[in-house]
Amino acid sequence: MNEIMNLEQMTIDPVFPLWLIMLLFGLGLAAALIQYGMNRDRLGKRRSLALALLRLGAISLVVAIALNPSLVVTKAQKIAPTLAVIVDTSRSMGQAAPQDKASRLDHAKALLTAGASPLLGALSQNFEVSLYGLADSLTPLTTDELGRLKAGGNKGNISEALKTLGGKRTLALLLSDGNLRLTEGELPQLAAITVPLGNPDTFRDILIKEIRAPSLAFRDREVSIDVTIKSYGYKDLTLPIFLRDGGKQLMAKNVIVPSGPGEVTARLSFVPAEVGRINLSIAVPTQVGEHIVTNNRAGFSLKVVRDKIRILMVSGTPSMNYRFLRNALKSDPTLDLLSFVIMRTPTDILNVPTQEQSLIPFPAETIFTKELPNFDLVIFDNFDYSLFLRPPYLESLRKFVREGGGFAMIGGPNVFKEAMNGLSPIGDMLPFHFAEQEFYRRDGPVRVRLTQAGARHPIMRFSGDFRKEGAALRPLWQEMPPLDGINLVDAKKSATVLLENAGGIPWPVLTVSEHGKGRVLALTTDYAWKWYMGMVAAGKGTQTYLLLMHRMVRWLTKDPRLDPVQISLPETPPKAGQEIDVRVQFQADDPARRTETAVTYEVINPDGIKIESTLKPVSHTGQQLLSFLPEQAGIYRIRIDTPQGRLEESISLAGPLDRLDGAPDHDQLRRIAAATGGQFAPPDGNLLKTIEGYGKKREKQFTSESNLPIWATPLVMAIILGLLSLEWYLRRRWGLI
Amino acid sequence: MISRRIFLSLALSLFGGWPFRQPGRAVGASFPHFFFTQLKYKGGDWDPNPLFVSTMAEEIELRTSIDARAERRVIALSDPDLFYSPFLYMAGRDEFDPFTKEEREVLTRFLTYGGFLFAEDTGGAGGTGFDRAFRREMAMILPNYPLKRLPPDHSLYQSFYLIRTLGGRRQVNPFVEGASIDNWTPVVYSQNDLSGAWSRDKYGKWVHECHPGGEPQRKAAFMTGINIVVYCLTADYKKDLIHHPFIKSRQKT
Repeated sequence: MNEIMNLEQMTIDPVFPLWLIMLLFGLGLAAALIQYGMNRDRLGKRRSLALALLRLGAISLVVAIALNPSLVVTKAQKIAPTLAVIVDTSRSMGQAAPQDKASRLDHAKALLTAGASPLLGALSQNFEVSLYGLADSLTPLTTDELGRLKAGGNKGNISEALKTLGGKRTLALLLSDGNLRLTEGELPQLAAITVPLGNPDTFRDILIKEIRAPSLAFRDREVSIDVTIKSYGYKDLTLPIFLRDGGKQLMAKNVIVPSGPGEVTARLSFVPAEVGRINLSIAVPTQVGEHIVTNNRAGFSLKVVRDKIRILMVSGTPSMNYRFLRNALKSDPTLDLLSFVIMRTPTDILNVPTQEQSLIPFPAETIFTKELPNFDLVIFDNFDYSLFLRPPYLESLRKFVREGGGFAMIGGPNVFKEAMNGLSPIGDMLPFHFAEQEFYRRDGPVRVRLTQAGARHPIMRFSGDFRKEGAALRPLWQEMPPLDGINLVDAKKSATVLLENAGGIPWPVLTVSEHGKGRVLALTTDYAWKWYMGMVAAGKGTQTYLLLMHRMVRWLTKDPRLDPVQISLPETPPKAGQEIDVRVQFQADDPARRTETAVTYEVINPDGIKIESTLKPVSHTGQQLLSFLPEQAGIYRIRIDTPQGRLEESISLAGPLDRLDGAPDHDQLRRIAAATGGQFAPPDGNLLKTIEGYGKKREKQFTSESNLPIWATPLVMAIILGLLSLEWYLRRRWGLI
Repeated sequence: MISRRIFLSLALSLFGGWPFRQPGRAVGASFPHFFFTQLKYKGGDWDPNPLFVSTMAEEIELRTSIDARAERRVIALSDPDLFYSPFLYMAGRDEFDPFTKEEREVLTRFLTYGGFLFAEDTGGAGGTGFDRAFRREMAMILPNYPLKRLPPDHSLYQSFYLIRTLGGRRQVNPFVEGASIDNWTPVVYSQNDLSGAWSRDKYGKWVHECHPGGEPQRKAAFMTGINIVVYCLTADYKKDLIHHPFIKSRQKT
């Protein structure tokens, strides 16, 4: 830093008002003249004059001090310009041309630090240089750190970076491939010289730029997925796009990619067959000479739900039970009921020609050999299926349940006891065995009671508010009207009894169990409709029966809304390397808390290995945050084991290079330079001169100013005292004192 | 006494070798699936056709899969068991006493929330005292759901037989009336004296002649009765889409 000093002017700063100082000076002058006149006759002209001058000198010096004169001193300092060297470190800077081993970032580092005259060293001669890396954020770097720098992270926001540096730096040097974000409308105050890296003319790549898919799809309804493919460096290439579910190809479609940089969008459709979360992928084959191959594949997940729960109900006879159950199922618009009522059996005699009766044949073969997979739930209502269903149909039904379907058996006198042993497909599935001999009894009213397991079961928890229900459910069932008939059954060990006979032998009335992937329920009475009319008779509404039937259906069809634990995945698609929080919601209140403590979590990575996960406390009751750090892309499975069973969710994570558009965007660098008043400067021999030229334009001088007091010094005080002392001495010597 | 169903099963098993087995039959069953509950009201004659039950129950057993019992329970509107009646039946010729406010409230609740009432004027001429009293009561019990002719495509005409002609002891009306709530008709009203046509004495002789159609008219009365019972137990089941093509094609023939 150079200094230049200038003594430019003298100033006064009176300690009293100027008029007072002049008045005092005038009085002092007058006093000196009077003194001269009085002493001239006694001491002579010379001695009198000497005393007067001494007094006048002292007075003049006092007056001068009162005027407080000072000199203004100006210092000018010349400052070296500050230069912020910004190195783009985002993912695209890690790319290298196929014939080049060095990445764009390597080229940037070499430009700054390598060679006989490294740019960074040359710049340090004339600039105060500071070094930064830019990706997700702007990070200060040392020279050593620059050497170890690796590409990674998202596109940096150059507008924000220049704004941050603007107040402290005079010039910015940006080394980038142009994959930067520039906020529209904001012009950073810091001039940026942009140095392009990578070669857009030789860059060749095919990438999946965008996938537009609904987050929710309905089973058996076509889903359309729009895929945008971007290409660089290929001419009129016919490219197949594949839609896959794991290893299974769902659809393929050919598109012609435009020549040069360009985009093409294709619509791929498929019909999801199963409910749940499916992890899909879009892939295009790798082309010759492609710079980045990882962006040719992209994964996404789709939650498939039922638009409607499809129910097949076969009733053995027209009955009140059928009508009330039918009305209950029809009252829910999310349920789609197809019912068959066996109006007559082979023993019933028809007394009119076919044209005069409305009966249709029960299409058992079509339903049980072809249509069964289209249903979610099959209900046999007091149905003697032995008259209508051949063994292969029953086997189809067992397969349907094993593969995830629901099956409900509503009891009554018509159920086929002989086929209910454990060896038959239906007997194998059902959660009970028939009691010996007697299998249906109508000889007395049967009141039911809620079992302990029933009180906790999702079917019986009508409102989700268990604390209220815990007190209310048992009396509710106690006051239900008695049933006129039940099947006499014993629950299997694997079954859960929810309602049982309240008097005498606790015959199960409502029993549930699992079979394979499916669920089975047995309501062993044909008088459940009395629960409806009983509440009507008591003036208490019809909600209990309706809720019970609806919840039975939803439990059988595994409606996630009935799960005691709900899993919520992050709304924004997570990426590998970022911590993921999964929200786990438990049913509230005491029993749920017991559930909460009995829950175990597991997170399984794409290699099938359990990885570390932690539970974070949250303020909401019954909620937990499961957190884990995925290190790689792929599908992560989250398993939650509860006393009620296992819940599993999966989450698909994109890799760091998935969907990466790594094409150098030098036009973006030109725009940045133009917007900031800087310059687009390729890394050639003139780069240093260009930067230095900008540096000179922005050289600055710092000027400082200070005041130097002239009279307000001890010397002047000594002179004043000296003058007065000499006067006093002469007066004494000359006999005036 | 052996029922007609069991007799026929045994006969067919013997002669045809067809293993007609009975559906799982309850041991000691005393409460059948289906039975008639007849409303006993004050004033007039609440029981003009006391002998219809066994014949009609037998017909239901013979023609349909419904497990019907030849049993009639007589009930008053004040009886809480009213709400457990699958099929509430009410008949008469003469004017009856107005229901009390409480009785009307009970019947309103019963009919609004799932109960079913089949009422008939057995006078066989129309415009009887019963007809006037019944219409008066219904206007107060279901004021928003007046009695109307049921259209020809109503489920009641298609629930078991495809009814083209209504039967009865007399053919007062070629239609039945009903009070409908949405897609459900909880009140069905006939003036053709169906139960008169169904009635048979203990010697097996018909109690009434059917005019003017004779025995075909009686047969139609049974068919109408079965349709009403099946409708009571299945509601608008026959409106399900799967039945449409069958019913349409049969109606054309």
